[in-house]
Amino acid sequence: MEKKEQKRHQHKHSGPKAQKKNRKKEHGTEPEQDERKRNPRAFGVKSAVRMAKTFHRAQDIKTKKHHIPLVDRTPLEPPPIVIVVMGPPKVGKSTLIRCLIKNFTRQKLSDICGPVTIVSGKKRRLTFIECNNDINTMIDLAKVADLVLMLIDASFGFEMETFEFLNICQVHGFPRIMGVLTHLDTFKDNKRLRKTKKRLKHRFWTEVFQGAKLFYLSGMVYGEYQIQEVKNLGRFISVMKFRPLVWQTSHPYVLADRMEDLTDPEAIRLNPKCDRTVSLYGYLRGTFLKNKCQVHIPGVGDFSVADVSFLPDPCPLPEAIKKRALNVKERLLYAPMAGVGGLVYDKDAVYIDMPCGHANKQQEEVRPTTELVQSLIGTQATLDVKMAASKVSLFTGTAALTPEEVQENGKQNPMESLEWDEKAQRERRRAVFADQDEEDDDDEDDEEMSDEEEEEEEEGEEEEEEGEEEEEGEEDEEEEGEENGEGVATLTKEDKTAMEATAPPVKKQKVEERAEMPVFADSDDELEKSEGEETEDDESDDEMEEGKPVKKSSGPDSGLCSEEDDDDDDDDDEDDDNEEDGDEIVNSKMSSKHPEEKETEDAEMGYETAGALQWKEGLAEKATEAYLRQQRAVPNLRKQVYGTVAEEGEEDSNDEEELGGLFKVSRPEKSKKVRADAMDCSRFHPDSSHDWDQEEMLASIRDCFVTGKWEEDKDAATLLKEDDDLYGDFEDLETGEVHKSKAGNKDQAEGGNDDEKNDGGDDDEEEEAPQVKFDDAEIQKNKRLEKKRRLKERFNTQYDDGDATYFDDLKEEMQKQAELNKQEFEDMDDEVRVQYEGFRPGMYVRVEIPALPCEFVTNFDPHYPIILGGLGASEGNVGYLQMRLKKHRWHHRILKTRDPLILSLGWRRFQTIPLYYIEDHNGRHRLLKYTPEHMHCGATIWGPITPQGTGFLAVQTVGGIKASFRIAATGVVLDLDKSVSIVKKLKLIGYPYKIFKNTCFIQGMFNTVLEVAKFEGASVRTVSGIKGQIKKALRTPVGALRATFEDRLLMSDIVFLRSWYPVSVPKLYNPVTSLLMPVGQKDTWGGMRTLGQLKYDLGIRNKPNQDSLYKPVVRQVRHFNALHIPKELQKALPFKSKSKQMQAKGKTPRDLQRPAVIREPHEKKVAALIQALSSVYSYKNKKAKAEQNTKHKEFLKQKEKEDAERQKRLKEERKKTFRAMGQKEKKKLKSSLKGASKDN
Amino acid sequence: MEFEGCSCFRQRLVLSTLSGKRVKIRNIRSKDDNPGLRDFEASFIRLLDKVTNGTRIEINQTGTVLFYQPGLLTGGAVEHECHAQRAVGYYLEALLMLGPFMKTPLRAVLKGVTNDPSDPSPDLLKITAIPLMKTFGIDGDGLEIKVVKRGVAPGGGGEVHFSCPVRRSIKPVHLTDPGKIKRIRGTAFSVRVSPQMANRIVDSARSVLNTFIPDIYIYTDHMKGQSSGNSPGFGLTLVAETLNGTFLGSEVVSTPQGQGDPVLPEDLGRNCAKLLLEEIYRGGCVDSTNQSLALLYMTLGQQDVSKTLLGPLSPYTMEFLRHIRDFFQIMFKMDAQKPGEDECRGGEKVLVTCVGAGYSNISKTIK
Repeated sequence: MEKKEQKRHQHKHSGPKAQKKNRKKEHGTEPEQDERKRNPRAFGVKSAVRMAKTFHRAQDIKTKKHHIPLVDRTPLEPPPIVIVVMGPPKVGKSTLIRCLIKNFTRQKLSDICGPVTIVSGKKRRLTFIECNNDINTMIDLAKVADLVLMLIDASFGFEMETFEFLNICQVHGFPRIMGVLTHLDTFKDNKRLRKTKKRLKHRFWTEVFQGAKLFYLSGMVYGEYQIQEVKNLGRFISVMKFRPLVWQTSHPYVLADRMEDLTDPEAIRLNPKCDRTVSLYGYLRGTFLKNKCQVHIPGVGDFSVADVSFLPDPCPLPEAIKKRALNVKERLLYAPMAGVGGLVYDKDAVYIDMPCGHANKQQEEVRPTTELVQSLIGTQATLDVKMAASKVSLFTGTAALTPEEVQENGKQNPMESLEWDEKAQRERRRAVFADQDEEDDDDEDDEEMSDEEEEEEEEGEEEEEEGEEEEEGEEDEEEEGEENGEGVATLTKEDKTAMEATAPPVKKQKVEERAEMPVFADSDDELEKSEGEETEDDESDDEMEEGKPVKKSSGPDSGLCSEEDDDDDDDDDEDDDNEEDGDEIVNSKMSSKHPEEKETEDAEMGYETAGALQWKEGLAEKATEAYLRQQRAVPNLRKQVYGTVAEEGEEDSNDEEELGGLFKVSRPEKSKKVRADAMDCSRFHPDSSHDWDQEEMLASIRDCFVTGKWEEDKDAATLLKEDDDLYGDFEDLETGEVHKSKAGNKDQAEGGNDDEKNDGGDDDEEEEAPQVKFDDAEIQKNKRLEKKRRLKERFNTQYDDGDATYFDDLKEEMQKQAELNKQEFEDMDDEVRVQYEGFRPGMYVRVEIPALPCEFVTNFDPHYPIILGGLGASEGNVGYLQMRLKKHRWHHRILKTRDPLILSLGWRRFQTIPLYYIEDHNGRHRLLKYTPEHMHCGATIWGPITPQGTGFLAVQTVGGIKASFRIAATGVVLDLDKSVSIVKKLKLIGYPYKIFKNTCFIQGMFNTVLEVAKFEGASVRTVSGIKGQIKKALRTPVGALRATFEDRLLMSDIVFLRSWYPVSVPKLYNPVTSLLMPVGQKDTWGGMRTLGQLKYDLGIRNKPNQDSLYKPVVRQVRHFNALHIPKELQKALPFKSKSKQMQAKGKTPRDLQRPAVIREPHEKKVAALIQALSSVYSYKNKKAKAEQNTKHKEFLKQKEKEDAERQKRLKEERKKTFRAMGQKEKKKLKSSLKGASKDN
Repeated sequence: MEFEGCSCFRQRLVLSTLSGKRVKIRNIRSKDDNPGLRDFEASFIRLLDKVTNGTRIEINQTGTVLFYQPGLLTGGAVEHECHAQRAVGYYLEALLMLGPFMKTPLRAVLKGVTNDPSDPSPDLLKITAIPLMKTFGIDGDGLEIKVVKRGVAPGGGGEVHFSCPVRRSIKPVHLTDPGKIKRIRGTAFSVRVSPQMANRIVDSARSVLNTFIPDIYIYTDHMKGQSSGNSPGFGLTLVAETLNGTFLGSEVVSTPQGQGDPVLPEDLGRNCAKLLLEEIYRGGCVDSTNQSLALLYMTLGQQDVSKTLLGPLSPYTMEFLRHIRDFFQIMFKMDAQKPGEDECRGGEKVLVTCVGAGYSNISKTIK
């Protein structure tokens, strides 16, 4: 639609309007006066109520928009987004993934196995994972998904899996859900298609939210979805925003995309069922992962991590963001389980995915390279010999050190365990430390160095090999294939650079440190050495310390490990730079350093370089001193706390003697035994060297008081001056004095100040290098910035903050916190940074887990996701959980207490036995036998401690599909405890056997005297409602008791006592180990069966209660007794009420019998006649009466009619007369009025 | 987790309770003439048992091995008879650490020795620890330490009430600038001695501090009768308050009756004032007794960066840092800050930084 150009308004230049305007202009007074002022009435308050209402409404709307502000903790480089493609079988999941991958990376994947990570854009990476139809997988993936692509077969409609998955998602925090309709090409009829779409859309909306995105994939072209549609979908995905989910943001997790068995092959050979050590790889998501933390692997169980290390990103984001789109090289794909992106760099090895078919061909063609590799494999064993021969010179010009010399210091060596790496086709060495000591690393280093040297060569070759191999493989393929090949090639190149970017620094550092150590031999290294000689007790501590190094160094070879202590130091150390030249001479490897890195490193240590050079030139003695002091101060503190166990206070360590100004004497520490049982006291006893009677000491803290000197920027005088600066000149109206701003002066003063400051800064740099790391320019700049900031702040407080709300403040606070979080460790080396922060999300980590069941490895199936879910503090423990639970409305049956149920809670899936309860009005938790139909109820389980507020869902079985809707219940955790308070009702029944007035002896309620004693004072009741109390036990019979009642009991009364009996929750916590099941049977995990199921399976039937059996109904005839009234009463009764009992008539005696009368014939005739006559008469009478009756009726009718007529007439008449009367009255009134008026 | 020896006994048990990790401590005074746990430690374990639910404690026959499996913190009203070997502060310090993470707000009544030379007194904790806790978002009217009866070592007979509200999570803090000291306050107490003692203490303390700042006020607190405990004694607690709300405290108590030489109140006052100066010299935003408390709250905060400026780390704090690393895998970044040449602001400071563990109170019930 093109917009029609509208004609602009023409201002009048002549006529009355123009004149009016001109007049206004001339007057010049308030031409644009405020409407409100001009027309106050229009804006006045008409209704206070209405105003209040509008105000309320406005505020409501405003506040509704607010969310609780959260600190933004997303890392700078976020991990790939997990996209779970879910749907019933045969709906097109794999096809969709394939199409999307092809869309993003131009590569074709044949088999989608495990997670596939791709780079989709400049700032976004995606991990696709397919979710099969197993409910275990659905549950696991719903917990890690950021986006769910929910595939729906439109030709069939929704399937239960879809709804189940939606419900799972709902419980575990709702990730983004996008529906995708497939199989739309099966509709031939357009109208039906439209209708189906609409129907499905609306159903989908009710489930997700109104307006949820539903995508339509209309049809297939050559077994793929249409390119345009896939492209659109891809666009949607790559711009999608995600909300943070509570569980995911508070727990670290890894969706493993690679698994490796590290177990000693010999151990496996001896015992194939031995526990395995496995390393899992993947991007870290969620929050920071700490080393040595506990993780849960859904489907396997809880494990503690032995070691975490980060690796170079196998699928990195493009480095430079200048271009508009990614070029082909940057479109990376990483899917180790699917067997692409075959080349993988590990910290200690390179893995190449070699298809068997190609391997042989390769062998012939690239013989020389392979030979070299082969030879390397051959020489691997002789490394020790090589090492022994290798020499390292510490200083340029000094004699080279041989490993023997170095080893003299060390006591223990790492044990070597050889492993045959199938993938790399070579033996790999694993350094196993029986008892790791910091000492070892010195010699280990050399080993490492040479090792790595070789490895580098090897890698290079392998890369080449790989590239060629790939090309070889892809040659027969067509255009697509070529693209693919190219992709791989680029990938290798990319990786090479990545390798160079990441691995060499490590190496280099090592070298540097080796060289550096003797030069500066800071005390700590010495300490470490001395520690090697310490008693065994120390070793346990050392092990603890070792934990930290391992964290960083990642590999089993702890070549780096113990050194890291040093190398944290040296991120501040200047030595690095000093030694660089020397190192380069010593080791040619240094030259291989990337120029880029150099830059970054220089930048990092920029401030040090200057000092270093000075030192080198030997110009400023001072600098060296500052240097040393710094070296002592900062790292020492750290080392003192975390490094070696130095128990002396820091003063002591500072007081240590120095030898030749460089070396320090380390003394053996006090025996540990004394320390171990030291007094536990938080008092910090004062330093005895401080004598507070001396003036200097007193002077040294003078500035801590308000009475002391203030900092320059806070000094009252300075502040005043600044005020002048800010507000300029003003005139004191009272005195008439004019204050001028002294800008010029000030500038001068400032300049002078700055100079001074600069000098000070220089001094500072020398004296207290740790804090002041800036050169002069930077100081100035910072000062200026600071000043600006303060000015701005002041301005803001004056003008802006008036309407700042609590919410705004909160948000700002969060913002600040987020910035601080980002900045605090930003410029640190990753190796050091992970120690402070833990591994941050977005890193590609390798997690080593020991003691995994062997089935995990032997039954490994890449189609099932492996998730490492980190557990928070005390989430690894087990306890009682109270939760609010509701049976799902779509589940057919109610749930029974004490039936095992499988819960998905937190990361875990486990079987447990819940007890359902309901809370009474008095807070009592009363046991329920079944869950209510449509109501929430409480449930208590014995299970893993999970933070309150976590949602869970319950299924009855995870094996197979039996129920129509598998999710049985959902709910939320309310409380955690170590004891339960569920009770059930208990009625004890007793019978009175002796009754006094209100006291009664009761038996049958208890069995022993003790039982009675426990219930003394308890209230009892009879069925008839008489209340009483238990008083005391009786000696005989046992269990009898005395009770008093409010009324006298009858022997027939039943007494009962109502009480509550605590129920114990069965301690069943059985993790669902579905991943350990054999391949193909992973969805058949059974677990504990319910009682009903067991009985059904075993064919056991309960014997029915005899009373509930049906018997033939026999009804007895009811017999009533006669009413008997006593004689006395009968006599007293009045005659009327006397019972009218007649004596049964007996036989009349003969004398009383009357003789029968027999008529004469004549008499008979007379009687007959009279009879006849009387009947005639009566008939006549009857007839006459009837006639009369009818006549009378007629008459009545007539009369009624007449009456009605008359009434009517009368009414008419009356009406007439009344009307007449009324009129007359009116007239009268009128006339009277007239008359009156006339009178007036 | 396994440890050796009984040093840092409280730290280990408290951290174990908070982290849920079980602890085994071996060789408790195994080489000692009197091996095994002492009475006050047993009393401490009993106190932990009272505030928790489901705690499992196993001690071997000689008392040299302790196994502690923590339960969940319940809180509520707790009354505990503290053993007289250690002061109430010994127990109170642990309760301060555990208090905010209970199921129900804690109302503890601790009876025993309130003041002794080795442990911080409830007075000191009241004026230094409570404001510190408030900066971490643990505030509200429930937070209070009250000395109802004062009982000096060795007799004891004191009573302290401690109540603490419950929090679900702890705020991160940025205490980097302690500010300048604006006033000094204090309490001089005396029980079962002449009330004049307190005044003498006050005078001597003032004489030292007056050179720095005029705003000094020291209350005298003489307790009589029921609330004066079983032994005679006197002492002084001083606190320096800065503009930014930092409280640095010091205290000195007279030597317990029958243990060592008696001290003059004048000397005691001067000593305490000097201790306060020492504390000021050390500086930082948290005083030396409460360093570990602040570090713990920083550790248990949300997953954000917290920063605090401390004075030199005490050996106890260092041990605590190590334990935090063991239990929570959290390391602190420590930057030493040296005072400038010309400024007279005490000794070297340490800026400690850490990322919180994202700990949330798992005991608190939601409805």
